[in-house]
Amino acid sequence: MRVPQSWLSEFVDVKLAPEALADRLELTGTAVAAVHRTGETLDKVVVGRIVDKSPHPQADKLWVTLVDVGGTEPIQIVCGAQNFEVSDLVPVALPGAVLPAGMKIKRAKLRGVESAGMNCSAAELGLGSDQDGLLVLPNDAPVGLSFSEYQGLSDITLELEITPNRADCMSMIGVAREVAAVTGVQFNSPTYSLLDEGPSIEDAVDLTVADPSLCPRYAARLVYGVKIGPSPKWLADRLIAVGARPVNNVVDITNYVMFEMGQPLHAFDLATLRGDDGKAQIIVRRATDGELLRTLDGVERHLDSQMLVIADAGQAIALAGVMGGAFTEVSETTVDVLLEAAVFDKDSVSRTSRSLGLLSEASSRFERGVDPTGCVAALDRAASLLQEICGGVVAGGVIDSSPTPPTIRRLELRPKRLCEIVGEEIVIGDMINILEALGLNVEVAQDVLGVDIPPFRPDLEREIDLVEEVLRIWGMDRVTPTLPSGTGRSGGLTRAQSDRERIGATLRAAGLTETMTYIFAEGRDMAIPGCNSVPEDEWVRLMNPMSEEQASLRRHMFPGLLRSVSFNQNRGVPGVHLYEIGTVFSTAVGRQLPREHSMIAGVLNGRWMPKSWHDARVRSSSPKSKPGSSARVDDVLDFFDGKGVIETLLLDLGIETATFTASHYAWLQPGRSAQVITGSDVLGWLGEVHPEVLALYECEGPVVAFELSLDLLLTNAVSVKQYRDVPRFPPVQLDIALIVDNTVAASSVEMAIRESAGRDLHIIELFDVYTGEGVDAGKKSLAYSLTYRSKDRTLTDDEVKAQHERMLRKVEAKVGARLRG
Amino acid sequence: MNLIEELQQIHEQAISAVSAATDAGELEEVRLRYLGKKGSLTQILRGLGSLSAEEKPLVGSAANEVRVGIETALDEKTRAISSEALRLQMMQDSVDVTLPGRRRPLGRQHLIERITREVVEIFVGLGYRVAEGPQVELAYYNFTALNTPQAHPARSPSDTFYVRDQSVETGLKSHDSEVLLRTHTSPVQVRVMESSKPPIYILAPGKVYRRDIPDPSHLPQFTQVEGLVVDEGITFADLKGTLEHFCHEMFGSDRKTRFRPHFFPFTEPSAEVDVSCGICAGSGCRFCGNTGWLEILGCGMIDPNVFEYVGIDSERYGGFAFGMGVERIAALKYDLPDLRMLVEGDMRFLAQF
Ligand SMILES: [Zn+2]
Repeated sequence: MRVPQSWLSEFVDVKLAPEALADRLELTGTAVAAVHRTGETLDKVVVGRIVDKSPHPQADKLWVTLVDVGGTEPIQIVCGAQNFEVSDLVPVALPGAVLPAGMKIKRAKLRGVESAGMNCSAAELGLGSDQDGLLVLPNDAPVGLSFSEYQGLSDITLELEITPNRADCMSMIGVAREVAAVTGVQFNSPTYSLLDEGPSIEDAVDLTVADPSLCPRYAARLVYGVKIGPSPKWLADRLIAVGARPVNNVVDITNYVMFEMGQPLHAFDLATLRGDDGKAQIIVRRATDGELLRTLDGVERHLDSQMLVIADAGQAIALAGVMGGAFTEVSETTVDVLLEAAVFDKDSVSRTSRSLGLLSEASSRFERGVDPTGCVAALDRAASLLQEICGGVVAGGVIDSSPTPPTIRRLELRPKRLCEIVGEEIVIGDMINILEALGLNVEVAQDVLGVDIPPFRPDLEREIDLVEEVLRIWGMDRVTPTLPSGTGRSGGLTRAQSDRERIGATLRAAGLTETMTYIFAEGRDMAIPGCNSVPEDEWVRLMNPMSEEQASLRRHMFPGLLRSVSFNQNRGVPGVHLYEIGTVFSTAVGRQLPREHSMIAGVLNGRWMPKSWHDARVRSSSPKSKPGSSARVDDVLDFFDGKGVIETLLLDLGIETATFTASHYAWLQPGRSAQVITGSDVLGWLGEVHPEVLALYECEGPVVAFELSLDLLLTNAVSVKQYRDVPRFPPVQLDIALIVDNTVAASSVEMAIRESAGRDLHIIELFDVYTGEGVDAGKKSLAYSLTYRSKDRTLTDDEVKAQHERMLRKVEAKVGARLRG
Repeated sequence: MNLIEELQQIHEQAISAVSAATDAGELEEVRLRYLGKKGSLTQILRGLGSLSAEEKPLVGSAANEVRVGIETALDEKTRAISSEALRLQMMQDSVDVTLPGRRRPLGRQHLIERITREVVEIFVGLGYRVAEGPQVELAYYNFTALNTPQAHPARSPSDTFYVRDQSVETGLKSHDSEVLLRTHTSPVQVRVMESSKPPIYILAPGKVYRRDIPDPSHLPQFTQVEGLVVDEGITFADLKGTLEHFCHEMFGSDRKTRFRPHFFPFTEPSAEVDVSCGICAGSGCRFCGNTGWLEILGCGMIDPNVFEYVGIDSERYGGFAFGMGVERIAALKYDLPDLRMLVEGDMRFLAQF
């Protein structure tokens, strides 16, 4: 809502400087988006007349204009606006001009055509918010005159952000009342008089309100014999200042009264209204499904039965509360004007304007709610302006579907309760002063104030609304801050919450960086083998996605992480190690809310660290790349790096029984994928992503990915770990290499060793896996370092030897392992 | 030459031989030459037996003195040589300490998560607990029970993501569905008020969703932290004190706060909270749009209608709620040029925090 100070001051004598007024409004609940100053910085902007207009040879939407700016020759200006014709008068910024937004005007070539200035819109001159077209000036504007001189005195306009509850502040009068209340000055209520001496309106117009629930009040006046033309300058200027574009004197007057009083008005050309018996018919009814209406903006609208329309005897002529129709529009040939002032249901207007994508000044007022007692006053004001400006004769009387007298409601405010809610001793006198300044009458009784609510404040419905009014004007800044004094509470995280943070900390210590991805699944995520077979019913579908590409919620987190891998690879990042703790979704027929599962997912790709001068040293001192072994190439992260991260996590959570078993997941590379299991719980999976899936995401492999169920990790986590004796007796260490078939899993060899050795076998460490020269084809050599140690004494070599040999025999029997010679 | 003189000579020769030695091998040779089995001093000591009873003690003690003297010299020289050898070895082993160290990979916490944790810790310190709820919610919890009118723009399918409801036969149009992606974490508050009795002091952090096209200042998925207090005797002054405490902890005790009355459907009275700009200290700059203030929070006293929905007596209990967008705080605190960086997973961005 734009409020020019010159207009505001008709109703309230503001004594504060604009910035001080803006501050005061901010602190009492009316946000001020900007304070605009106009008419001060418009050097080198003059009135010009368009004398020629031709399409730009190189650009579809541009015009090449010749503009007379009072010099000897017209100047050539390239212009992108579409709302002007030859002979129109417009403001022209000449080279050297600096516009209020800071734009400097220079001679330039636009797509190869010389342009010696700019034809301006109202917004470009800081005069309003209309930026869609040129500011076309009244026909009497003198060509060549400085625009500031033409425009008149400078003005200051406050741009206010009115909250949805303050319907009353959508007008100059409403804002003036608010300004008076918050600055403690007098509000000057305007009075208007009207002579309506023409023939009675009853003889010319019939009104039927078919749906009073959506139209509680419909009133109209008729003005005969108006002369259509441009508005006088003062009227046009004010409309421009509040961001509207002047059209003609009749339409401008209806808009003017709306901005001034908050009541939207509409003007129909009486001659276009069909009826019978020589009387025009106005019918307020719901549209029929599929009914068509061409609105003032020239767009053909398809209506439905949820929408309220104004119709004549034939068809819909206006979309109630939203926009008028083109057919009954006031035009140059209009003689008699029917003025409408109505109240429409706010929810209905809101639904209609949103479903058609049509937000208008009128709809934004109806949406908040319009004072039902203000219709006739607005009609009177508009009719008297029509009389004065357009020379019309006002028909006698008003037609009115609901000529109800203003209803004053009474609310009760308990001063003690107010102080209890605010937490501050506000004296009753202050409360009364504030409420009365807002235009509410207050009656003082014992322990309670009776407050009369006028119809222009429909938002005041309950005691709490009055508490808010008093607090915001008394001043939130005056409230002394305290802290809640209540006892019986203790802060903290639940165990699951703190374990979750701990899991994040462990993953970070293991080298993974936390990330955040969208919960929306893209089309290609759903095309991944293994995801593409999920039945349609099990996907959580959005009904109004931003794009068809993001119409479902994810069932897995790794696709989003693969996108990040690709993002990083495209930018040459040498290592990607990311984790996310997030949610995946699934559903089923019959479910209302889907299942939500908390997951931990990660990806590893590339190297842990950038290449370093240490790498060569490390490699030369430990020659690992034996032929045929699985030693990594160039330190590229692989399956075992992922597994190591998960092992570290399980260790920290005290989940000692978890195992990794070779497992098939369609999106993982066969032979490099595993399931993580503890007891009967499948904690999740881990593996190198299938090269075909990587290709979908344009990733270079190998990429290790994992997903673990957070809930299952939390339920299996051991919160209190058991103390175990720290070893006190010396160890005996033996290294062995066992030859087994390639198909024998390392875990089963280790299990065989552990089961076969006595209780003195303390630690088993696998330190080498070898295939190749010296080992038969189809076999592998596993080298273990075994630590024997007794809990209660020093072992002798002979004892260990005996145990060790017994163990080897058993292991041979169990897994076919033979000692490598 | 008598034996004493001979001993003196041996001593002098040995001492000079010791000092002439340059390494451990030479020193060992010197030791063998004088103190070894065939060494000259050993020879003399072996000959003691043939001496007279008067000479024996004299020569014996002189010989012993010489032996001790040589041994001492040898020991000192040994130490000197080995410490010199060590010094040389260490010189050889010296490194360029400006070469990079052997770093361990260290992961970082996401900026948004980090700020969320900071906020949570501040309120845990004030006695709050953390509450969670579903991200796919019912319109009842997300809107209705929060006193949001049926025709409120926030409910419209252009603002809110609606989700297919599989408990009903059809639901072709999005505004017919009662299931949606929560647009704030306030439904968690409703669920908590429904299921527990005051006193309630909770914080509800989490992801929320609005139909915004991603751009530098909007994401369709972002993070909110909301707080809720329901207790006897809760006042607006308590709300003010709580949020001032929070702003001081979060942004620094030199920052000022300002409460501007505002409108929210679920609180009344409501306010927006600004904190003074940290760049210009309130005098106005580009960062704060020349106002000197940065908007941080929305808050207010729980609307009695909300209490009615959850069955809490608003005459007996009072309460307040507040909420903030974590991405916004991140953008303000770190001057981020583009919020989309937060969801791209760019290692070079994430590793900065
Ligand atoms: Zn600043």
